[in-house]
Amino acid sequence: MPSFRARHHIPDLGVGVGFRPKHAEDVLDRGGSPDVRWYEVISENFMSPWSASRGPAGGRPMANLGRLRDAYTVIPHGVSLSIGAVAPLDEEYLARLRALVDRLNPPYFTDHVCFCRATGLDLHDLLPLPYTKEALAHVVERVKRVQGAIERPFALENVSSYLTYRESEMPEWEFLAELAERADCGLLFDVNNVYVSAFNHGFDAEAFIDAIPADRVVQIHLAGHQDRGAYKLDNHGDHVRREVWSLYERAIRRVGAVSTLIEWDENIPAFDVLAREAAMAAEHRDRALGAQRSASREAVP
Amino acid sequence: MSLAELQKMLAEALVERDSIARAPAWTDRAARTLTGSTRMTPVEQLDVYREQFWWRHVACVAEDYPTLAALMGAEAFEALVTEYLEAHPPTDFLLRNLGARLADFVEARRPDDPLLADLARVEWAFIDAFDAADAPLLDPAAVAAIPEDAWPAARIVLQPSLQRLALGYPAHEMRTAFLQQQTLSRVQPAPTFLVVHRNARDLRLHQETMDDLAFAMLAHLAAGEPLGPAADALAAETGREQEVQARIGEWFTRWAALGWIARVLADSPM
Repeated sequence: MPSFRARHHIPDLGVGVGFRPKHAEDVLDRGGSPDVRWYEVISENFMSPWSASRGPAGGRPMANLGRLRDAYTVIPHGVSLSIGAVAPLDEEYLARLRALVDRLNPPYFTDHVCFCRATGLDLHDLLPLPYTKEALAHVVERVKRVQGAIERPFALENVSSYLTYRESEMPEWEFLAELAERADCGLLFDVNNVYVSAFNHGFDAEAFIDAIPADRVVQIHLAGHQDRGAYKLDNHGDHVRREVWSLYERAIRRVGAVSTLIEWDENIPAFDVLAREAAMAAEHRDRALGAQRSASREAVP
Repeated sequence: MSLAELQKMLAEALVERDSIARAPAWTDRAARTLTGSTRMTPVEQLDVYREQFWWRHVACVAEDYPTLAALMGAEAFEALVTEYLEAHPPTDFLLRNLGARLADFVEARRPDDPLLADLARVEWAFIDAFDAADAPLLDPAAVAAIPEDAWPAARIVLQPSLQRLALGYPAHEMRTAFLQQQTLSRVQPAPTFLVVHRNARDLRLHQETMDDLAFAMLAHLAAGEPLGPAADALAAETGREQEVQARIGEWFTRWAALGWIARVLADSPM
């Protein structure tokens, strides 16, 4: 059977960055940067806060989104779908997400393996799930429903986490692989999250990378994190760390040429700093792909 | 523990206002559910998420009310927002809406200082105007084509971004001063009628003050009343019939020039 990427014609977009309002003039009026080939947007920032009587959101955010879409491939990345919550899927959320996806016409859309909603509250955090058979069955079912509602390839991202549950019955990578297989969805592989969680929970980051189903990875995320002594916090507020670049190359050697994104959400720097980070990602990516090609040639008898 | 019970526990921990890292009840509860790590106890792990919950939501509200925060001082503002979030915890997937009720909350919580609520209303009006629905600018040719005798029954459709505020203080002047990095000083009470809107052409935000009569007329039009009945109602309310009749043309011309009017519905009453 062809890989997930092949079946869904998932393109390799090269290296992109998260589009933030602060960089709108650099990207839309001054031509961006040749080092940034595509953009990701946070879905919820464009999912209309208005009631039916007042119409959809407009103004600068939607105008910028339209211009961005006209010039680049734009991938919507959600943070509030809450795919793992026991609370019912929010139909209003799905309707708005569908409208956004239809407007952007991306090759796929993404969100996280987590829950955000409980006890009637929207907690606005990517809360980890216990890696149990119960949670797996629950998420698989909901991913299928989301795919049915949006009718577009869907990929889920591994989250960084600061706690682990006694209930868990399998490692995170096994949960992700099983989820992707049973729900037939893609994976957005966040290398920084693997590094952060590996430090926080004491597992082997390389073992995680080596265990993910490579053909289902549609995109890789990279970001900076903060060292808080007893734990590392995934704050997207700094340059990508050396150790994470190293894991990134390992991931690329394993999954091949997939789109890569630099996330930077706190202490957001000037656009040229972000573009240089993207250029650095391209260098690491090229080096890893070169190594992968060499290894393939050597393997030929 | 079921998935539902586990998620409920996390949600309950996150909304605890103070650190739970030393709370015996939470220490036991966390230890039954979480593994901890070589560096952190289960309850310390849980507290990371609780801390992030408050940091994220307080910062989100603070971003929408920078002038109010500057006027109150960082500590007092954070305490106020924390109380606000306890009263109005996030229930919407859009963080954008989190601070929507802060002005009403401030009004109820700080009746001794009504300037604070006015300032909050002004700052929120800019948020609403910023991403309100788009609408076209008024078409002069369509206006010119309206027959003279059709105007009394015509309805004026205002731009969706238009925000109307009746205030006890010119609080918008403080916002302007803050954005221009001037020294922030309290304004004196004065009835203030303010419109905040987004220009449909360049998408920039603007503010405009007006007198009480013009503001009241705008309210009638915003309610969907036809021009004639709106003017009659305003005249009856205020006893200023001659002034109303004399100024209608001037108001329409000015509001059209400011880009506040999207359409004139002359033939098909809503």
